[in-house]
Amino acid sequence: MSEQHRSDLEQRVTALLEAHDPATTGRAEFLRARWDAGLAWVHFPEGLGGLGLPRDLQAHVDDLLAAAGAPDNAPERNGIGLGMAAPTILAHGTPEQHERFLRPLWLGEEIWCQLFSEPGAGSDLAAVATRAVRDEPSDEWVVNGQKVWTSSAHLADFAILVARTDPDVPKHGGLSYFLLGMREPGVEVRPLRQLTGEAEFNEVFLTDVRVPDAQRLGAVGEGWRIANTTLNSERVSIGGQAVPREAGMVGKVAAAWRAAPERRTHGAHRRLLDLWVQAEAARITGSRVRQQLAVGAPGPEGSATKLVFARLAQELSALEVELLEEDGLRYDDWTLTRPEKVDFTGRDAGYRYLRAKGNSIEGGTSEILRNIIAERVLGLPGEPRVDKDVAWKDLPR
Amino acid sequence: MDLSLNDEQQAFRALARDFLDREAVPHRVEWDRAESVDLAIVPKMAEIGFFGLTIPEEYGGLGGDYVTYSLAMEELGRADSALRGIVSVSSGLVGKSILFHGSEEQKQEWLPQLAEATKLGCFGLTEPDVGSDAGNLTTRARRDGDDYVIDGQKLYITNGTWADVALIFARTGSDGPRGISAFLVPTDAPGFEAREIKGKLGLRGQATAELFLDGVRVPASAMLGEEGTGFKIAMSTLDKGRLAVASGCVGIVQGCLETAVEYATSRTQFGRPLAGFQLVQDMIADISLDADAARLLAWRCADLIDRGEPYGVAASKAKLFASEAAVRAANNALQVHGGAGYVDEYPPAKYLRDARVMTLYEGTSQIQKLLIGRDETGISAFV
Ligand SMILES: Cc1cc2nc3c(=O)[nH]c(=O)nc-3n(C[C@H](O)[C@H](O)[C@H](O)COP(=O)(O)OP(=O)(O)OC[C@H]3O[C@@H](n4cnc5c(N)ncnc54)[C@H](O)[C@@H]3O)c2cc1C
Ligand SMILES: Cc1cc2nc3c(=O)[nH]c(=O)nc-3n(C[C@H](O)[C@H](O)[C@H](O)COP(=O)(O)OP(=O)(O)OC[C@H]3O[C@@H](n4cnc5c(N)ncnc54)[C@H](O)[C@@H]3O)c2cc1C
Repeated sequence: MSEQHRSDLEQRVTALLEAHDPATTGRAEFLRARWDAGLAWVHFPEGLGGLGLPRDLQAHVDDLLAAAGAPDNAPERNGIGLGMAAPTILAHGTPEQHERFLRPLWLGEEIWCQLFSEPGAGSDLAAVATRAVRDEPSDEWVVNGQKVWTSSAHLADFAILVARTDPDVPKHGGLSYFLLGMREPGVEVRPLRQLTGEAEFNEVFLTDVRVPDAQRLGAVGEGWRIANTTLNSERVSIGGQAVPREAGMVGKVAAAWRAAPERRTHGAHRRLLDLWVQAEAARITGSRVRQQLAVGAPGPEGSATKLVFARLAQELSALEVELLEEDGLRYDDWTLTRPEKVDFTGRDAGYRYLRAKGNSIEGGTSEILRNIIAERVLGLPGEPRVDKDVAWKDLPR
Repeated sequence: MDLSLNDEQQAFRALARDFLDREAVPHRVEWDRAESVDLAIVPKMAEIGFFGLTIPEEYGGLGGDYVTYSLAMEELGRADSALRGIVSVSSGLVGKSILFHGSEEQKQEWLPQLAEATKLGCFGLTEPDVGSDAGNLTTRARRDGDDYVIDGQKLYITNGTWADVALIFARTGSDGPRGISAFLVPTDAPGFEAREIKGKLGLRGQATAELFLDGVRVPASAMLGEEGTGFKIAMSTLDKGRLAVASGCVGIVQGCLETAVEYATSRTQFGRPLAGFQLVQDMIADISLDADAARLLAWRCADLIDRGEPYGVAASKAKLFASEAAVRAANNALQVHGGAGYVDEYPPAKYLRDARVMTLYEGTSQIQKLLIGRDETGISAFV
């Protein structure tokens, strides 16, 4: 990263802090000023909370602001908004859509969820059956269908939605992408209890939900291409952030190791060192991938970091439970809660162990990521596809 | 070598599976959430014979062989590991300790009741500060006239709050393994208290407790075996216990195989059943291989016991492999289910949480390796 960018940014941060002393400025006011100063997400364009700078500089800004005691935008409450909806809206939205959605999203005033997966369409996302039908007189779309595994739907104000607008063409061509209001009539959210005991995700039933055409993102029929922007961003946002050495799951395990000398064994030591080295390699690889992402939206390369992240999270959290010996039997809280945020390394070892099992499924299963790496990164021949040229309505279901 | 099961063994397995598919499988998720199985199933299980399998007929049991016992534990593990734990602690750890080390009066008094599950037993070895290192336990039994008075604390005791009799290991002599004796303590004795430990990762349907013994008085006749032989009793019983855990884990692997195959052949993505993808078959093949390998190790151990040959190391190998295989199989089955695998209602979630506990108790994987390593090299690396 260039020194010039760095010192420019530092000056901007100083100016922001001088004009809006965090000690005397309200949270909302400070965050708005930060947005206006282009320090929200520096890789976004000017006027939309950014400065058009490489994205790796953001971590430096965040550190400086945190050190000065400034409030943040509670990113853990709006992971899907920040990590997935925002880059997609930026890449494919109209200026009006940028203006309308990005600021409240970043400020955390509007929380987002992702209405992609359905009972019949998970890995095979292009098979979604939720229908959006245009109602010409009102210039609205009428949406009907069922979504599943929708994280944070119980908190969300808006959703990114993939729906079928043309059943008569092959599945990839008949999809469109919408920004759907979760508070509209006809949206019903039901909790789904998961492995961890909590209900982080939900089933969402959509019955005659209306979406103004102005909330369609991109052209009709372009939904698949746009959804791929979202999915590529998701894979970077799961486990792809800039983190210091020994952060995240590896930090938890290292801490457990250090805390209990009496439980150390040579076998555990060997595994810890092995995983520590792998985690460090993954961290450095992640940083290299992010530098390649400096311009434009992420491509398929993020699949590899996400794949490795999931495997390491599972192996590390398993080691942490084992290090606790019989105490690894304990589980902190089994009540059916609907959490306010998603935190992979939160709570205790048992929770972390169970939560990590979702990492190889959410945001593309590890098998799908292997296929993507093989076909789109390495350029190997594709899997045989039986359903590529058949009209969606004629596919067996 | 003949690895086929005889008619009686096959008949018992079929009976067990049919019973558990009806009485346990439909309720296991609900029991797991409630942190307790419905105890009304215990007498029904006793009727099938689960509790009396290896107890001789003269003491009210079925007198079955250990291969049948292994099959029974497998079926219980496939249905609900919490039930497996209740049986293998009460009739396995406690019943077998009494059978092999008890006096005639002790056998007459306890075995018929344990075989019919009109009484349940618990096994009190682990303490807050001694887990894998049981030879250093600190619960004390002090001689007082014709009685012993026991003081101490036990932790992670399966069946602790349900048991009528607790087999308590306590120090009667010097430090180390040779100073330990075993006692059959009625749980309604004054000074005996059991508190349930809520909030477990797995095996949630079985009661796990902390035991507090505060001046608990038992007659000298409550001692099991000779004074100072408690540690030996515990270790030889745990060897057989490892067969039960291993077989229960085989059941988990088998359950994972069945649910993964069923899901992968019935769900379609990209116009094909999931089973049509090589990466999915890869996971299913791994589970299938784990099921066979774990089962063969468990059967070998059971067969050695039935033939009266040494089986300790075989039990360690079976327990180590099968418990790790159960975790692997549950992970694979979960992954085959995709998002549904991460949902509490589908079988992989509970299999996974139960399997995880199996690698941690009755001798961690690390301890089993040291036992196997000591056997291969003749050198103990225990510290
Ligand atoms: C914790 C969590 C949070 C989630 N949050 C959201 C959310 O907010 N919004 C949302 O829309 N979705 C969400 N999901 C859903 C997630 O994206 C899907 O679960 C995932 O895409 C897999 O789809 P599926 O569950 O239908 O599994 P399936 O697609 O049915 O997959 C089942 C198994 O088959 C394998 N498989 C499928 N196709 C192939 C193939 N071609 N080659 C090889 N193997 C294959 C899979 O890898 C998997 O092992 C979440 C999931 C989890 C676990
Ligand atoms: C030391 C040695 C001695 C041998 N001796 C003999 C001999 O005496 N007689 C004889 O007839 N042959 C012999 N072979 C040949 C051997 O049987 C073949 O190498 C083997 O069958 C694999 O075939 P291949 O080399 O053509 O590899 P391929 O079949 O081309 O396989 C290459 C890779 O692709 C994978 N693969 C192939 N098909 C699929 C599929 N459908 N799905 C997924 N993955 C797939 C394979 O697993 C492998 O990883 C010998 C080989 C070796 C190495």
